[in-house]
Amino acid sequence: MYKKINDIDTGNFCGVLKDNKFHIPLDEANTDYQAYLEWVADGNTPEEAE
Amino acid sequence: MAITFNADTTNGAVITSDTSGEIELQANGVTKAKVTANGLQDANGNSLRGGMYRNLIINGDMKIAQRGTSSTGQGVSEGFKTVDRWNYTVGSDATAGRFTLTQDTANAPKDKGFGYCTKFDCTTADTTIATSEGLVWRTKLEGQTLQAIKKGTASAEQITLSFWAKGTAATYAVELHDEDSNRHNTQKFTITSSWQKFTLTFAADTTGAFNNDTGASLAINFWLHAGSKYTSGTFTSNTWASRTLANIAPGISSFYSSTANEFFLTGVQLEVGEGASDFEFLPYDVQLARCYRYYEETLNNLCKSFINGYGTHNGQKVLNAEFKATKRTNPTVVIYDASGTPASNKLSTYDAAGTRTDGQTVALVQADLQQIKVFPNNGTYSGIGFYYTADSEL
Repeated sequence: MYKKINDIDTGNFCGVLKDNKFHIPLDEANTDYQAYLEWVADGNTPEEAE
Repeated sequence: MAITFNADTTNGAVITSDTSGEIELQANGVTKAKVTANGLQDANGNSLRGGMYRNLIINGDMKIAQRGTSSTGQGVSEGFKTVDRWNYTVGSDATAGRFTLTQDTANAPKDKGFGYCTKFDCTTADTTIATSEGLVWRTKLEGQTLQAIKKGTASAEQITLSFWAKGTAATYAVELHDEDSNRHNTQKFTITSSWQKFTLTFAADTTGAFNNDTGASLAINFWLHAGSKYTSGTFTSNTWASRTLANIAPGISSFYSSTANEFFLTGVQLEVGEGASDFEFLPYDVQLARCYRYYEETLNNLCKSFINGYGTHNGQKVLNAEFKATKRTNPTVVIYDASGTPASNKLSTYDAAGTRTDGQTVALVQADLQQIKVFPNNGTYSGIGFYYTADSEL
């Protein structure tokens, strides 16, 4: 459902891809990122970046 | 013969009303304006309080619909469908009820100046209502836009919600939900098959300030259907209190009670103070620009444009696109290629002769408040292109 995305330059974790469609930024004011954080808090784990 | 009022030395010029409580200003025997207990009003009782952008709600006249004008089979899960800045939510229990949501022109109250309304048309009834079912038509407002209400201070203001509604006869509820302090205030309204303007003034709340930021502070929730989780308590109209779910909607009708049910809404306005002024009509371009802060796209017909070209960043091909407006927050982005049925998370590439290849892989998307950067997988092509949606909704 969720997959981590790493920055091309730095290789650092920079975002989340949901359903291989929605590029979600690491921004706590973004409601999709809020939903992701709740999903993680519920004990779920995203797929690691390639 | 003109009548001149001269001020005395202590009170200025004072005109007092009779026991009706009103002072009318007439011309040729016709009332043009009046002073009432609720302030200065026009002959129809609308507040004459003015000022640009006094309506705190964006797209209250349902004019802008970037995502499309009609969506069928709704009721399964929440989402922004059709008009901008408005979405519907459902409860945690699934309902069998379904509806078609439309940005409607045929039924809009054009004689009141409105070219659009939203139309809810029940297509599947649900008369067995589970505990946590719900259907709420909602818009949310940023805290920074609400500071004039002075909520949570000793100087807190009343606020007035006005709207036009009609439909199959029913009683629904509208809830103001302070999401910062989890407080709410609810009032009911009863619709008929004719358009009515509803004016609901909500008491000032000296408890719980709105955050002065870009987050969601106030939700305006129109409750159209609710299970016992939301109806089993006690309804107290126009009273701010800590939010108790059971007290939100006791006694409301169910929109899903029959496939004959319809609900129409437009002209939603929220303003500081007691009494509603006339709806504040904004030019289309101004309204659209305000909506862009929360959502924009290049995919649908409203603003269809294909972004193409590319530059390089550390040897990696990249294409930037500037947003039409500064976003509320860094947006969630979806990229589409240029095919007849655009594929999501894909883009198009071009060779040196300009021949397009769709379905190419997106390596990375980065977006901030002002722009989007799209990185494709590197390859031997001369250009890239894509459509996008950028969502910063509340």
